Amino acid sequence: MDAAVAEGSHVIIRMPSDNAKIVCVKAQETIELGKFGSFKGSALIGAPYGHTYEIEKGGAIRPHRQLAFDDADITEANNREIVDDTRSQRLTFEEIEALKARSLAGDVTAQEIISTLTENNEAFAKKTEFSKSKYIRRKEKKFMKCFVPLETTVYNLCSHFFRANPAKIRGIRADTLSQMLSLANVYAAARVLAVDDAQGMVVGALLSRIADGGSVYAIHDGDVHNYDIIRYMNLAPEGRDRLRTLPWSKLDHEMEPFTEQLAENASEQDVLGRERRMRAHARLAETLDTLRGGEFDALVVSTNYNPTSVLKRLVPLLGGSRALVVYDQCKEPLVEAFTWLRASPDFLNVQLTESWLREYQVLPSRTHPLMNMSGGGGFVLSAIRLAPGQ
Amino acid sequence: MFHEYRSVVGDGDQAVLYCTPESMYPITVAAGKVFNNKYGSFHHDDMIGVRYGSKVVSHDGRGFVYVLHPTPALWTQIVPHRTQILYLPDISFISLYLDLRPGKVVIESGTGSGSFSHSIARTVAPNGHLYTFEYHEQRAATAQREFVEHKLTDVVTIEHRDVLANGFGKSGIADAVFLDLPAPWDAVAAAKEALRSTTIGRICSFSPCIEQVQRTVLALDEHGFSEIRMFECLAKDHEVRTVPLPDIAEAIGGNKVSFRPAKGDRRKRRRDEEPAAPGASDDPGEGGVLVSKPVNAARGHTSYLTFAILAPGPRSP
Repeated sequence: MDAAVAEGSHVIIRMPSDNAKIVCVKAQETIELGKFGSFKGSALIGAPYGHTYEIEKGGAIRPHRQLAFDDADITEANNREIVDDTRSQRLTFEEIEALKARSLAGDVTAQEIISTLTENNEAFAKKTEFSKSKYIRRKEKKFMKCFVPLETTVYNLCSHFFRANPAKIRGIRADTLSQMLSLANVYAAARVLAVDDAQGMVVGALLSRIADGGSVYAIHDGDVHNYDIIRYMNLAPEGRDRLRTLPWSKLDHEMEPFTEQLAENASEQDVLGRERRMRAHARLAETLDTLRGGEFDALVVSTNYNPTSVLKRLVPLLGGSRALVVYDQCKEPLVEAFTWLRASPDFLNVQLTESWLREYQVLPSRTHPLMNMSGGGGFVLSAIRLAPGQ
Repeated sequence: MFHEYRSVVGDGDQAVLYCTPESMYPITVAAGKVFNNKYGSFHHDDMIGVRYGSKVVSHDGRGFVYVLHPTPALWTQIVPHRTQILYLPDISFISLYLDLRPGKVVIESGTGSGSFSHSIARTVAPNGHLYTFEYHEQRAATAQREFVEHKLTDVVTIEHRDVLANGFGKSGIADAVFLDLPAPWDAVAAAKEALRSTTIGRICSFSPCIEQVQRTVLALDEHGFSEIRMFECLAKDHEVRTVPLPDIAEAIGGNKVSFRPAKGDRRKRRRDEEPAAPGASDDPGEGGVLVSKPVNAARGHTSYLTFAILAPGPRSP
C-alpha cells in the first residue's frame, strides 16, 4: 500500500457523518462531499492516508487535529430540569438556516456555528458533561467540513459496502469474509477455485492473500464477470493477472483448434482482431486445461445458485485434505448442502456456523455496546475433502 | 508445511491424524514409528506415500484414522494449551482488520501457545515476517521448538523477552502489532516505536476485561493513534437434523406416531460431530423436516478486540 494518495488510485473518503464514498482520485477532477464541501483531486494527491483533513474555503485541504477523546467527567448535573422542547434554542429556524448557508460557503467555521448554537441554547448549561460532549459531537458530525482518506483494504471495502449497499456483496460482513479466508487456508502460493456472485468481494479478498505462485480461478455468471470490487483495490497488474475467469457456460466447452484465417487484403484492424481472438482462444484453452486438472487447494463459494449443485459440480476439482467453504446470507441453502456433505463419505469436519459481531463505544465512564448492530453477517459452511477414491 | 501444501505424505512431514472432530493428533511422520490410540495401532510406514486426506487402517484392520495435511486452522484445534488461546473467529477478524497479507511484517506479544502465530506466519509468508515475543521462558522455548518442527523459522522469529519492561527492540519495521498482554497500555509506546512511520500502522489489543480496554484506549489516544474501534466477535455452531413433524390429525385420529430418531448409519456416527438428540437424526428420512439450530453450549466471550491506526507522517515524541 502506498503511504499517500496517488493519482488514479481509489480512496474511501469518510465524512464526519460516518458515511463514506469511494472516489478515484484524479488531479483535475473535483471531489464532491455534499454539505461537507468539495475540493480538487490534486489537493489530495500526495496526502498521507489516515489523517483528518479540513476543507478550507476555496477547496484547499489541510491536516486537522484528530477528533480525539473528550475528557468529560461525571458531574452533579442531571436532566431533571431540562424540558424537551424547541424553545430552549433562542435562534430561529431562519437564523440557523442562514448560518448553515454561510458554513457551506466557507464563511464560518464549524466551531463558530457550534458555539453559536450552544450559547443560544438555554438548556445546554444544565446538561451533564457527557451530554454536552454528545451534543457537540452530534453537531460536529453535521457541520465539520473534514474527512479522512482511508485505504481500500479488503476490510475497509467490505465494511463500506456492508453498510452502504449490502445487496451488492450478498450481505457478507467482514468477520464472516475473514473466517472464509482462514477456513480455506488461503496463503501466498495457493491455487484457489472460487465462485463469487458478490461482485468480486470474495474473489478480491482471495487475491489479496495470494502472491507469486498463487492463483484464483473464478467461475462466473454471464459472458463477462462483474467483479466490480476488484477495481477499487488498487491491485498491481501482476496481482490482477493471478485471477483467471471462466463463464459457467464454458465449463463443459470442448476446445477446437483455432482456425480463423486472414482474408487476402486484410486491414491492420483485421490482423489485430484476429490476434486478439487467438490470444483469447489460447487463454480459454489454458484455463480449461488447468481447471480440469483439478487438485485445487481450496474451493470458496458465494453463489445465487443452489450451493449443493455448485458443490457437486466443483468438489471433484478439489485436492485431498483441502477445504471447501460456502457462504450464504441465509441458512436454508446451506442446511441442504450440509446434509449432502454429511451424508457423503468424502468429507470430514462438516461445520455450519453463524458469525456474530458487536461494536462498542469506549469513552471514559461511557463504555457500552453501540445501540445499533447488524442483524446478521451470514453463515459459513465448511468441510475438508478426503482424498478421492477412499 | 503450514504455508505450503503437499499432496503426498512424506517421511518427516507434520501431519494430523483425524479420528473425530474431538480427537485429532499432531504427529511427525517417521519411518518405523507407530501411533497408538483407542482406535488401534497405526504404522507411519503405512502413511508414507499415501495422498493427504487418505484413510489409514490400523494394524489389526479394525480401526482407521484419516491422515490430514496440517493447517493453522487445524493446529488451533489441537495445539497443546499452555495458555488461553485465540480461536478462529478472532484470528480471522484480527488478520483481516490488520490487513495481513503476504509480505507484511507483524509483531505479536505474547506468543502464548502459538495458535495465532501459525496463522500469521501462513498469511505473511513467504516474504513477510512475524516477530513474536514471549516473557515466559518455558513457553517461549516450547513455541520455538514447534516453529522449528513446523519449518516456520524462515517466517517466524521468537524471542524470550519482557516487552512491558524492555520494549520490542524494533524500530519502524512493522506493518501491524498485535498485543495479547495483561497490561497492554504499557506496550503502546513500544508498539508505536516498532510501527513504520511511512505507511499506516495498525494495532490490535486483545483483552478479556473491559477495564483493560479502557486503559488501553486512553493510552492509544495519548500516543496519537486514531480510528480507535472496539469489537467483540464470535461464531456460533449450528447443528442440522431431520425431525418428524407429523400433522396433529394423526393424534386426533388415534394413530400412534413415533418421535424416536431414525436409525443412523453406525459407521458414520463415529465420525459425527455430535450424538443425535432425542427425536432427531441427521438422516433426511421420509416425511421429516430438515431443521437447524445453534448447538446447546456455545462460547459467549473470548476477548475484546481494540483496534487503532497510526497515520504516517512526522511523529511527535
